[in-house]
Amino acid sequence: MSLLDIKNLSVRFGDANAVPVVDGLDISVDKGEVLAIVGESGSGKSVTMMALMGLIEAPGRVNADSLQFDGTDMLRLKGKQRRNIIGKDLSMIFQDPMTALNPSFTVGFQIEEVLRQHMGLKGKAARQRALELLEKVEIPGASSRLEAYPHQLSGGMSQRVAIAMAIAAEPKLLIADEPTTALDVTIQAQIMELLVNLQREQDMALVLITHDLAVVAETAQRVCVMYAGQAVEVGSVPELFNNPTHPYTEALLKAIPEHSLGAERLSTLPGIVPGRYDRPQGCLLSPRCPYVQEQCRQQRPALEAHERGAVRCFFPLNLTSEVA
Amino acid sequence: MSTPTTNSVLSARDLTRHYSVSTGLFQPNATVQALNGVSFELAAGKTLAVVGESGCGKSTLARALTLIEEPSSGSLQIAGQEVTGANKAQRKQLRRDVQMVFQNPYASLNPRQKIGDQLAEPLLINTGLSKSERREKVQAMMQQVGLRPEHYQRYPHMFSGGQRQRIALARAMMLTPKVLVADEPTSALDVSIQAQVLNLFMDLQEELNTGYVFISHNLSVVRHVADDVLVMYLGRPAEMGPSEQIYQRPLHPYTKALLSATPAIHPDPSKPKIKISGELPNPLDPPTGCAFHKRCPYATEQCEVERPELRLIDSRQVACHHAETINS
Repeated sequence: MSLLDIKNLSVRFGDANAVPVVDGLDISVDKGEVLAIVGESGSGKSVTMMALMGLIEAPGRVNADSLQFDGTDMLRLKGKQRRNIIGKDLSMIFQDPMTALNPSFTVGFQIEEVLRQHMGLKGKAARQRALELLEKVEIPGASSRLEAYPHQLSGGMSQRVAIAMAIAAEPKLLIADEPTTALDVTIQAQIMELLVNLQREQDMALVLITHDLAVVAETAQRVCVMYAGQAVEVGSVPELFNNPTHPYTEALLKAIPEHSLGAERLSTLPGIVPGRYDRPQGCLLSPRCPYVQEQCRQQRPALEAHERGAVRCFFPLNLTSEVA
Repeated sequence: MSTPTTNSVLSARDLTRHYSVSTGLFQPNATVQALNGVSFELAAGKTLAVVGESGCGKSTLARALTLIEEPSSGSLQIAGQEVTGANKAQRKQLRRDVQMVFQNPYASLNPRQKIGDQLAEPLLINTGLSKSERREKVQAMMQQVGLRPEHYQRYPHMFSGGQRQRIALARAMMLTPKVLVADEPTSALDVSIQAQVLNLFMDLQEELNTGYVFISHNLSVVRHVADDVLVMYLGRPAEMGPSEQIYQRPLHPYTKALLSATPAIHPDPSKPKIKISGELPNPLDPPTGCAFHKRCPYATEQCEVERPELRLIDSRQVACHHAETINS
C-alpha cells in the first residue's frame, strides 16, 4: 500500500465540460520515496498538489476515483479533519519563500504555531524545539534568528525557515513546489542537499515539483513527466534520462543546453503547449511531435505500463519489447 | 582580450559604479560599490557572458553599458566613441548603437501599443523613413524572428512568453545596433521555449554581426552562447577568459563552486561537489581582503587582508592569490 495514491484525478476550472487543467492523472508515492513531477508552465504540476491539499476553490472542480493519503480519503475530509492532517502528516513548501512566511510575526512564533497546533507543545518546550529545528535546517546563529521577522532574512534563509516549519511536525510526505527556482545556484545546491538529507534522516517521502530536469536528475528516484495536464511518461532515474520513451521527454532533454555541447544550435521542439481552445483532437503533442503519424492525429493514447515505467504514446522510443 | 582590437565594438576600462545609500536619519550615507574595476573588450559578432549570483553587479554593468546610468569612474567606448563627456548629439547616436533585451517580456512591452507600432517606433524616432518604408522594415524583421505578418496588428497580451521575447529582440534589433545587452533573456521561459529563443539570438547575431553582452546566472545557457565569460563576485571580476577554457578548467574557487553547484542531467560521480557555505556578504559591509574569503574552501590569512588583483594565468585573468597552487 503506497503512502499517496492518486487515481484518475481531474481538475477543471469552470463547468463540468471545461477543458481539464489536470486530466486523468495517476500518481503513487511510496513511503520514503523521492518522486519528481516535471513539466513546463501550465502542465498542471502545481494544480495536482493543490488539489491534494484541498486548496482548489470554486470555480475549480476536483474529481478523482481515489485520492488516498496514508489510508485517508482526502476527497471526503471535512475542513477540521483536513487541517489535522495538513501541516502534520502532509506538508508543503512553496516557490517564493518571501511570500510564504507571514511578514507580521517572528520566525520563532511561526514555527511554534505548528508545534502548538500539531504537537501539543507549549511555552519553553515549543521554543526549545523551534530552536532545534532552525539548527536542523542549518541557519547560522539560530537562537538570534528566532526573534527575526521574515523581511530580515535573505531568500535562502526564508526558504530554510519554511522548510523548518514544514518538517516541524515530522510529516510523512513533504511536497516541495519549485523550492529553489527563486534562489541562486549556490544557494539552490545548499537547499537541495538539505532537503535530501532531511528526507533520508526522517524517512519521509518527498514530492518535488520542478521544471528543472537537472535538479531532478540529481535528487529524485522516480519521475513523472507532465504535458498539458497529462502524465506522458513515468520512469525511474537515471533510466528515464538515458533512454526516454516519450518524444516529449526526449525533446525536453535535448533542449537543455548541456545536451548540445559543441553544436551550433540547440535542438528545439517547435511550437508551444496547446492552449484551452486549440487542443488537438488526437495526442496532445501531435502538432509538435517529430515522429507524428496519422493515428496520433486521430486518437488520444493512454498511459500504458512497460518494462521500465509507463508512457502515453502509440509509438514509444527506446523500448526493446512491444508495450504490454 | 585586454589589447584593443580593430573591430572592437565595446571597450570598458576600470568601470566602476558606486551608489550612495541612506542608513537612517542623522547617519552618514554609506557607499555600495556595486561595480568595481571591470574591464573588457567585445568584438563585433562575439558574445561576452557575464555570470554571477544576484547582487554581484551584473545588472549594474548592464545599466552602465546601455547608458541608463553614468559610470562613477572609468572609461567606456562604444564603437570607438567615448561615452563619458559625449555631447547630446553623440549620445543620441550612441543610444542607437546599444540596445537592450530585458528579463521579463511581460513587463518590457507596452501593453497598449500594437506590436507593429512598437517595432516601428525606433525607426520613427531615429530615422527619416516614411510610413510605408517603416512598415516594410518591420514586416521584414518580424519574418526574421519568426512572427507572422498578421501579428502586426496584435497587442502583447495575445502572445506567449517566448513570442514576446522574440518581439523584444526584434525591437532591439530594428536599428541594427552594434551592441546588444541581454539581461537574463531566457530565465522567465520554459526549457523548450528557451532553446528556440537562444537559437534566434544566435541566428540574428550571425546575420547582423552584433556584439552581445549576455547576462545570466544559468551557466549551462552561457556555455552554449558565449565566446568569453566574465565571472563576477560582489561587484568585482573574479575570472575572465575564453568560455571553453573556463568551463573545462576553472581557476578561481568561486567559478569552480558555481560550476559545481550547477545541477547536471548526467552527474559525474567522479567529480566531488565543491560546497560553499554561507551567502553573499552584505555589500554595505564587504569583507576585507578577498571578497570571497569567508566562503572559500582554500582561504588563507593572506586572503583576509590583501585583495587579489586580476592576474594573467593560462591566457585568462583570475583574481585569486592561490590560483596556481590550488589548480596544480
